[in-house]
Amino acid sequence: MSDTAARPSLADCARTQLRVIGALVIREMHTRFGRHRFGYLTLFLEPMILAIGVGIIHQLHKGERGVRGSFEMYAIGYVLFMKFRQMIMRASGAIPSNVALLHHRQIALPDLFFARHLIETAACTGVLFLMTFVGIAMGGEYPDSPMKMLAAAALMFLLAQGMALMVGAATTEWHGIERFIHLMTYLFLPISGLFFMLYWLPPWLQEYAVWVPTVHIFELLRDGQFGEKYWTQYDLLYVAKWILVTHLIGLAGLRVVRGRIGLE
Amino acid sequence: MKLSPHTTAFEPSPLGTVETWTEAAPTPPPRPRNRLWRFIIHPFTLWVLLPTAIVAAYFYLFAAPQYVSEARIVVRVRGETQHAMGANALASLMGATGSGASAGEASTLREYLTSHDAVMSLHDRLDIVSIWQRPEADYIARLHDTEPERLTKYYNSMVSASLDGSTGVLTLRVRSFRPEDSKAIAEALLAQAEDLVNRLSERQRGDQLRVARDEVAIAERRVADSREALARFREQQRDLDSQGTAVASQQQISAMEGALTVARAELRERSAFMRPDNPALQSTRNRIEALERQIEAERLRRTGGDGALVHQLASYDRLMLEREFADRQLASATTSLESARTDAQRQQVFVARVVEPNLAVYPLYPRKLIGVGSVFLGLAVAFGIAWLLIASMRDHAV
Repeated sequence: MSDTAARPSLADCARTQLRVIGALVIREMHTRFGRHRFGYLTLFLEPMILAIGVGIIHQLHKGERGVRGSFEMYAIGYVLFMKFRQMIMRASGAIPSNVALLHHRQIALPDLFFARHLIETAACTGVLFLMTFVGIAMGGEYPDSPMKMLAAAALMFLLAQGMALMVGAATTEWHGIERFIHLMTYLFLPISGLFFMLYWLPPWLQEYAVWVPTVHIFELLRDGQFGEKYWTQYDLLYVAKWILVTHLIGLAGLRVVRGRIGLE
Repeated sequence: MKLSPHTTAFEPSPLGTVETWTEAAPTPPPRPRNRLWRFIIHPFTLWVLLPTAIVAAYFYLFAAPQYVSEARIVVRVRGETQHAMGANALASLMGATGSGASAGEASTLREYLTSHDAVMSLHDRLDIVSIWQRPEADYIARLHDTEPERLTKYYNSMVSASLDGSTGVLTLRVRSFRPEDSKAIAEALLAQAEDLVNRLSERQRGDQLRVARDEVAIAERRVADSREALARFREQQRDLDSQGTAVASQQQISAMEGALTVARAELRERSAFMRPDNPALQSTRNRIEALERQIEAERLRRTGGDGALVHQLASYDRLMLEREFADRQLASATTSLESARTDAQRQQVFVARVVEPNLAVYPLYPRKLIGVGSVFLGLAVAFGIAWLLIASMRDHAV
């Protein structure tokens, strides 16, 4: 690699990329929430209100004692699912809505995604903390292991990022599948593991449920929330495989798509 | 590309001027070597192929063969009575009808087989430390630390117990560096499992019998108490049979009432033709009066006062009832003791060996191709991602 000497070092490039992503985050916040005083608050309020709503509905609807009727289970689980869904649903618009920015040489395609994902993750992690504290304040129990909950949030972020990169590349190549993806995220909700724990299912159904990567993430989240009170089972290696493969396909897809985007 | 003239310049030229042309011929441009070199210093080689080669070298050159001994067992419950297996009622509802209870027992067994308790008992039976530290074992796969916790961890990496939930078959797989070691460990573990199941079912049976015996003892005491209370009552009241006394008293009253009726009729009949001061009439009147007084006194004795026959009869009835109940309780307790005894004889939980531990001939482990392949695939995917990320970083170069 004798010709690398002519190029700027990788560290410089990385620094530039981080600056670009930071700038994109700020720009994204402005375009999404405006420059009003409480604009940023909607970023946190939106998932929080939805999560609280879902938590309360389940509390009232089921009316059961224990984990099934637990507000914390559905509210905090829903925050993670929100993150997953938002990242994938917004991925289809990431390139079209920022296409003008690509006139700048410093901005690469993955940057657009990374910036958006950072915003979603910041919002959802904040809400996750808040909900946990609210749950404790309302008389709930302390989470068994906050590190496991954070690990679940991080894994969910990575998995959603891989999926979002794939979706972003695919929607640029084939127009019209955005609606399909929108539909898929809703259909995915019941099988995602948000509304059930593995041990509720009969054994034959468990065998199928463990193929869904988010089921493992939710099991990890609940292990962190409730500890050994309930039986949980997860295989993080399997989730890691999903994350790696989706990232590979997504990044490669963006690489392919890079040459085909038309700048008018 | 670079033809280095000085390499040829040092060559001696004894043949004169022709050499300048002939010396160029044996030095073709060193492209093959150059390409090889480029391949060698390519990051893919460094990050993917080299680790894969190292792993492959370990697996194919250094790794000691590991022999697997496999055994399959089911936990059978003989006897139809399910009340002893109450804890597994849910399991029998959810699982298949025939094997439900035994699947519950089998999962208990699996928990035991992966626990430190099993490791420690195994350690007492067999020298597992030296088994897993055989000289032929390679450095990576052998056992290093013999503290109980780390030994348990290592044990769990070498011994697996997996349960098929629908059939209740528990599969035990043991790996070690010699076939006979694997078989010995598997045999020892099966023996331990059988011990555990026997111990548990023995205790269950003992509990059942003990409860039934306790019931019988309680019933016996109640019977004795009730008899004793009755005897004391009889002694106190100086009356053998209060019921009989009451009946006798009743008969006496009705007899006297009969006599009274006869006497009254006689009085009426005689007063029709006799003068009122007739002495015969007077004696009848006296008889009637005496009878009435007698009846009154008898009634008073039955119902009035503290020591009246009514109270006596009530206590007597209660005591008789108590005696009857106690008898019945004793009878039913005895019956259930009998049935518990027959249940205990009939119902047994035991381990049935479906597949005996085998003596391996061919080492199935380590799984060389799967190991090397998964290392290669994982590294290749990780390398691809890293390459793409770095490439997107490089895009930022102005």
